Amino acid sequence: MSDLLRAPAEIKYADELAWLESVDTGTKPFTWRLSPKMIRTFVLGSQPGDQLDRKVDQKWFGDAAIVERAIVTLASDRGLLLIGDPGTGKSWLAELLSAAVCRNSTLVVQGTAGTTEDHIKYSWNVSMVIAQGQSRESMIPSPIMTAMEAGAIGRFEELTRATSDVQDALISILSEKYISVPELDENGTVFARPGFSVIATANSRDRGVNDLSSALKRRFNFVRIPVVTNRRSEAEIVRFRTEELLRRHQITLDVPPTLLDVLLQSFADLREASAAAGSDDERLESALSSAEQIGVLEDAILHSNFFGRQTLTADALASSLVGSLARRDEDTPILNKYLHGVVAPRTENAGENSGEWTQFLQGGQAALKALA
Amino acid sequence: MSPIAPAGVFDALRTQLQDAATAFADGPDALQGILLGLVDDVDRAVREPLEIFPVCHHSPASALAMARRLREKQPKVVYLELCEDMAPLLSELHNCTLPVAVQAFATELDGFPADWAPLSVVAPITEASAEYQAIAYARSTPGVELVLVDRSSDHVFQWEPRRAAPPGQAEPDEEDGALHGDAVGVEIGDLRPRFAELEEHLLRNGRVRHWSEWWHQYVELPLGEADHDTYRQVMFLVGSLFRRLAPGESTRMRVDEDRERYMWTRMREHLAATGTDPGEAVYVCGAFHAASRVEEFGVHGSAGTGGFEIAPRTATKWQYGLIPSSHTAIEGQFGLAPGSVSIAATQWTKNLKRTRVVPFRLEGQGGKAAAKESARAAVSAAGSQPRDARPSDRLSGFLQRPGVVDPVDEAELLGWSVGIVHAARRAGYLASTADAIAVFETSVLLAGMRDRAKPTPYDFQDAAVTCIEKDSVPGRRDVRRLVEIMMGGDRIGRVGYDALPPLARDVHDRLAPLGLNLQQRGVKRALLDIASRPELERCSDLLWMLRYLMPSGTARPIMGERVLGQRPIQESWDLALGTNQRALIELGYEGISIEQVLEQRLRRKAYHPLATTATVLEAVEDATLYLRSAARLADELGAHALKVLATERTVDSAPEVLRRVRRLLAYYRTSVPVLPAWIEAFVTSGYAHYCTLLPRAFADEDATVRQVAAMLGFLFSMESLALSLGCDRTQLELAVAQSHPEEPSRVALLWAAQVQLGRLSRAELRGRCDELLGNPLVLPSYPTYLSGLVHALEPVPGLADVVVEAVSHAFGRLPDPVLLPWLPTLITALRGDSSDLAPLLVREAGRVFPGRLADLDRWVPPWREAPPAPADQPSSRSVGPGGLALLPAHPAACDAAARLLGCEPSWSTAPATSSGARLLATHPDTAQALEVLLAAR
Repeated sequence: MSDLLRAPAEIKYADELAWLESVDTGTKPFTWRLSPKMIRTFVLGSQPGDQLDRKVDQKWFGDAAIVERAIVTLASDRGLLLIGDPGTGKSWLAELLSAAVCRNSTLVVQGTAGTTEDHIKYSWNVSMVIAQGQSRESMIPSPIMTAMEAGAIGRFEELTRATSDVQDALISILSEKYISVPELDENGTVFARPGFSVIATANSRDRGVNDLSSALKRRFNFVRIPVVTNRRSEAEIVRFRTEELLRRHQITLDVPPTLLDVLLQSFADLREASAAAGSDDERLESALSSAEQIGVLEDAILHSNFFGRQTLTADALASSLVGSLARRDEDTPILNKYLHGVVAPRTENAGENSGEWTQFLQGGQAALKALA
Repeated sequence: MSPIAPAGVFDALRTQLQDAATAFADGPDALQGILLGLVDDVDRAVREPLEIFPVCHHSPASALAMARRLREKQPKVVYLELCEDMAPLLSELHNCTLPVAVQAFATELDGFPADWAPLSVVAPITEASAEYQAIAYARSTPGVELVLVDRSSDHVFQWEPRRAAPPGQAEPDEEDGALHGDAVGVEIGDLRPRFAELEEHLLRNGRVRHWSEWWHQYVELPLGEADHDTYRQVMFLVGSLFRRLAPGESTRMRVDEDRERYMWTRMREHLAATGTDPGEAVYVCGAFHAASRVEEFGVHGSAGTGGFEIAPRTATKWQYGLIPSSHTAIEGQFGLAPGSVSIAATQWTKNLKRTRVVPFRLEGQGGKAAAKESARAAVSAAGSQPRDARPSDRLSGFLQRPGVVDPVDEAELLGWSVGIVHAARRAGYLASTADAIAVFETSVLLAGMRDRAKPTPYDFQDAAVTCIEKDSVPGRRDVRRLVEIMMGGDRIGRVGYDALPPLARDVHDRLAPLGLNLQQRGVKRALLDIASRPELERCSDLLWMLRYLMPSGTARPIMGERVLGQRPIQESWDLALGTNQRALIELGYEGISIEQVLEQRLRRKAYHPLATTATVLEAVEDATLYLRSAARLADELGAHALKVLATERTVDSAPEVLRRVRRLLAYYRTSVPVLPAWIEAFVTSGYAHYCTLLPRAFADEDATVRQVAAMLGFLFSMESLALSLGCDRTQLELAVAQSHPEEPSRVALLWAAQVQLGRLSRAELRGRCDELLGNPLVLPSYPTYLSGLVHALEPVPGLADVVVEAVSHAFGRLPDPVLLPWLPTLITALRGDSSDLAPLLVREAGRVFPGRLADLDRWVPPWREAPPAPADQPSSRSVGPGGLALLPAHPAACDAAARLLGCEPSWSTAPATSSGARLLATHPDTAQALEVLLAAR
């Protein structure tokens, strides 16, 4: 774990997964390594009622029903499509689920405008083809094909960024569960083993770019992941991810709970303002997701750690917030309005937190001035 | 937890409760204390000689256990936790389609702050509830008495500190969600953790989303087939736990304890008065109250050291009625999850089918066949089962079965899966049989993952959303809503005709000639051809009254209007009386007939302490408009208007008063032979009143030009009538003379008034306007003068030509920086306040300006045209022979006066220039012929 910048979930939680597997008495569908209930426990953390000897931490924060529906979909013969705004934790959930089901979350195809059908099915090692002709050995299977052969979960990130004809290559994979390789005379069909399924993610802001065909839609169960608006869960998420970051950088910096409050409140305010805005020019470009919140905090922590006074302050947080959210020219007036219209009154009325808000205001103003 | 029946039966629930107790107790000792306390509570409740039957609201398991117990025990008296003053209404329930709500309503408060009005308490009753079983049993079995023992509606408000919003009441956003209005809801068996943390803990631990689902999974399903003892013990236990762990805020707890004291006191009183054996009675109450620890608890409980006495009710007059309710309204009012009441209803039907228990039904509800069947079954059940026999323990078997889907459920789930695909396809989804299979499979998998033996409706809902819902919703409803609808959807109750208050019945009777089923929900179109069917005129009257009294949308005229003095010929209406049944029933609390209610409302409006003359006149107008025999009321209100006018010191309502008086006068002049006394008095008093106020209004900065213009309008237009009734014109002349406005628009208004009174000629007025335009110092304020002149059209409409001229001058001569900023003001003045002035001005402008482009070149404004040459006019008046002839004839008087003044009298002869005389001299023949003629006569 230590020699990887970012270890995949199955490595990061290897101990926990192994332990869960050892105590799991539930029925496991196909070749799954854990039973559906245990996967839920792995993702959502254990409850006292589960009567487990060891505490399992919560790794994904959100409605439990979403996770349950996702797991159940993987056990059925349909693919799972996680859809939601950027930064809502779709990929993280996909990674956790793959890790829990088959201990391999790295069979990933990234959807882009340049993704071709080869990336989904297979391609050829050209030099081997020239040397030996087309054979199974000279074929390079795609991650999806590898997953099929192993009875594992294949992942397709940002499905809607790939063009429609490429997307449609998935149709036969999801319904017939095999890929034909016409170039091969023998063994020309690669069949999926039990346990194979696909988890795709799609960004709801990309809707309309490359819409899914109805045939493909039918083969996926859609699970929509909402932006977390519950203050408590959001605090949990931010704390969880920040601790990870601090550990990774070996930083011993304390994040005061009041500052976390300030961050959460400011995002809640900005979301409210975005919801009330009449046109795109009046709202920030950012989706204001939990991931962005983590980004802002991460930025502030790193900045304070390496360039600041080793403590996290509200002004560092504010300048990081302004720096992360001011992406277009239209964003700066909105932030300016927010600082003067919402934060400034709060400096007087916020009670015990007013000190932080004052500092936050000053930091924000300074950052905006620097931008101007 | 010894009181719980066979080991292993309620494992899941036990774990849940134990976890909760551990999490919320302060330490191991406290936990033990709580557990022992629970045992005590259950033990005490079980030992009570008067059988306590704990229930939870909208719980089919409670209803089922209730039905079973009543059949088995056949009690003689049923005590029910429901406001005692609502008892008489329960006999009307058989006329209604459930769900309906029993309502207590008060508008005339005595003993409560006036701003609380109207007070409203509702107790909704659904079919799948234990209370309905108890009511139906008591009402349909001879010799059984039903006694409501909870505090009265009056006490609900006496004890409840007034909050901003009633507790747990969400703002209902849908139309059907608002069926209860802003009433305070009371429910039998409110059983829910009183503080949020406990509920959250239970939900998280139980892996469910909301309270209804928790209850469904951990209590409802296991209790579905439990025997009586198990049922009672579990309910006592849950009630006791919630009570001990989370009593909630102290005020609410105090109210609860007071209610328990109240109920036990009432029950003891009843037992003592009737000599009933407690063993033959059942007390139906919420499980929360069954675990009560008040001293009054029990048949042998003490009267309490606190000296609890039932406080008398206030003098507030309460009205009672049944109003329609709906599942959505109930969910909204009591903070339940959407769809949960519908799911409870489905569960109830399913339980009935499975257990073959025959429920109690009031006669008339659910059809005659059902009632007969129920009666027969009741007899057979009572006969076949000895009263002491203990039912076999079906619960253990039920819970110990492995988690397989039994055939009944599989068929049901299949039906649901196919049904939802059909519904989704109708709603625009691309759903197919493959989806039905997927939904079925997913439901089973989800249920397995959630530790449920069978998929619950909630699992099914999740499965349907997972498999059918894609990235967008094609129609109006998403899959979640479709499932809710399929599960029974919202059921809306209806109050039957016989259970309606007299007013509502009267309305339906009187609208019968329309031939529409107005009891039904939805909008009905009524066409009234009054010319061919004169009897419909009465319906039209009623509809206009309904439109005035009921919320908008109840009766909406599509064609036809009601104005003073007009008779209706044809009308068409959109009627939604069925949808707004509650409003009609609440109207019924105010009076016996709709006319009476309208009269009361008008009176209340007119006699309101803040009522102005205009509002009183509006009431008079409405009375004349809507009530056929309104003369008496109109006279009374008119007389009151007079009083209000006399006390008014401002002229704020003058424009409105003028408008209404003009309209009423026009109506009376055309429709009655003699003007009513009050309006004559109103005109004379108004004349004097406004004359008195005029000088001050002219000077007062707060009074607007429009108001002053309206005062002048009243004075000038009512002048002839006022003078004929004995007013003195001098009063008005003096008032105008005393007025010295400074503000330009009012000055212009005063000029107009002077022109009307003849103290200023139109030429002089024109001259003044010209002067203003010629003077560069006052030029910027010219538009303000013009505004005054425009407003002056109201009192002096004859001045229209001068105003057109002045406006034309303004357009022609004012510099743009002055003119342009003023234009919007002019337009808003003409469009807004005095929209009736614009046509006058336009007509006059149309007369003055050329109509065709070709005429424009030759056109000269009338005010530029040279006035007709006065030279040709004989100045006969100045030299008329009137007095002049006398002077030369009797010079003495004139000479004497001249001497007195110190002048020397001298006489000169006037030249004989009379044109007529000269003609006579030149043409004498005519005169001579005339002389001959006259002489001959």
